[in-house]
Amino acid sequence: MSQRDAKTTLPADEYLEADLQRILTENPDIAEQGITVVRRDHSLVLYGEVESDQRREEIVRRVTERFPGVPILADIGLIRTQEPSEIEELP
Amino acid sequence: MVIRIAAVGDVHLDEDVVGRFRPALERLPERADVLLLAGDLTRHGTEREARCVATEFGGLGVPVVAVLGNHDYHCDEVPQVLRVLRDAGITVLEGDSVVLECSGGRLGIAGAKGFGGGFAGRCASDFGEPEMKAFIRTTSGIADRLGAALREMDCDVRVALTHYAPVPDTLAGEPLEIYPFLGSYLLGQAIDSAPTGLAVHGHAHAGTERGTTPGGVRVRNVAHPVIKQAYSVFHLGEQSMSSQVSARTGSGT
Repeated sequence: MSQRDAKTTLPADEYLEADLQRILTENPDIAEQGITVVRRDHSLVLYGEVESDQRREEIVRRVTERFPGVPILADIGLIRTQEPSEIEELP
Repeated sequence: MVIRIAAVGDVHLDEDVVGRFRPALERLPERADVLLLAGDLTRHGTEREARCVATEFGGLGVPVVAVLGNHDYHCDEVPQVLRVLRDAGITVLEGDSVVLECSGGRLGIAGAKGFGGGFAGRCASDFGEPEMKAFIRTTSGIADRLGAALREMDCDVRVALTHYAPVPDTLAGEPLEIYPFLGSYLLGQAIDSAPTGLAVHGHAHAGTERGTTPGGVRVRNVAHPVIKQAYSVFHLGEQSMSSQVSARTGSGT
């Protein structure tokens, strides 16, 4: 993890993006490898899908806490768990 | 005759997810002969999370066959995770196989977690630092066991089950730079060493569903974020059971 102070790194740069990606994966309260971070001019956007509402909320809470000066937009969905409507035939 | 295979990977169970899959699993015995779980069953690989997997996927009325994924190794509790899953009646494959008697024939499943390394021409090599050699030797050892398990099964149709991807096709959508962490061609080569009817994997959340090995074996990425449903169902028909599968003829697609 970088030792830099996130408050001094605006606008969002590559190191901040890398820090964020590591937190998403390595923070045991998140542990998500499937979240994509997209760097915009003055903000970071998180895309992806998770298995529960609690996980989505925890991601937003942890990231906001770690990067208080960076506008974060979280566009994270809940993965659907309905029965399949179709079967794939493999002759 | 048809063998019906349900499969999903990367369910990442913890207490917050218990119960989400169960409603869709209630009618599984009407729809499938077996459920395959393609690794990353848990979030951090703890015994407690494994009990959540046992609750969600135990006692389904069809055999459940799984491999572990990288998340299931994270907390170094693999022996406890395996014990909990096996106590719940879940068969966990680690370079070995199981043959199930289904109404459509004998289904042989060989499974292994797999590992990374990358794909032909753009992959890690068994050369240089001990860490690099250990990395690729881990993958080649797993692939060797998977290939042997596939070849040695006495069954009508063979299915390969891994967590890591055996081909790059099903990674489309993932950044190219991380392909070496998502799979290895050595797994594909192992799958092509036997007349395999279907290869199922997970791990690549941003990948795509369908691919084919160089030998013509159909590959399906069943990672839950990819299939976006509780599980996918595949019906393997006569051709998958014959000795004329494309793996032997090398016809490709």
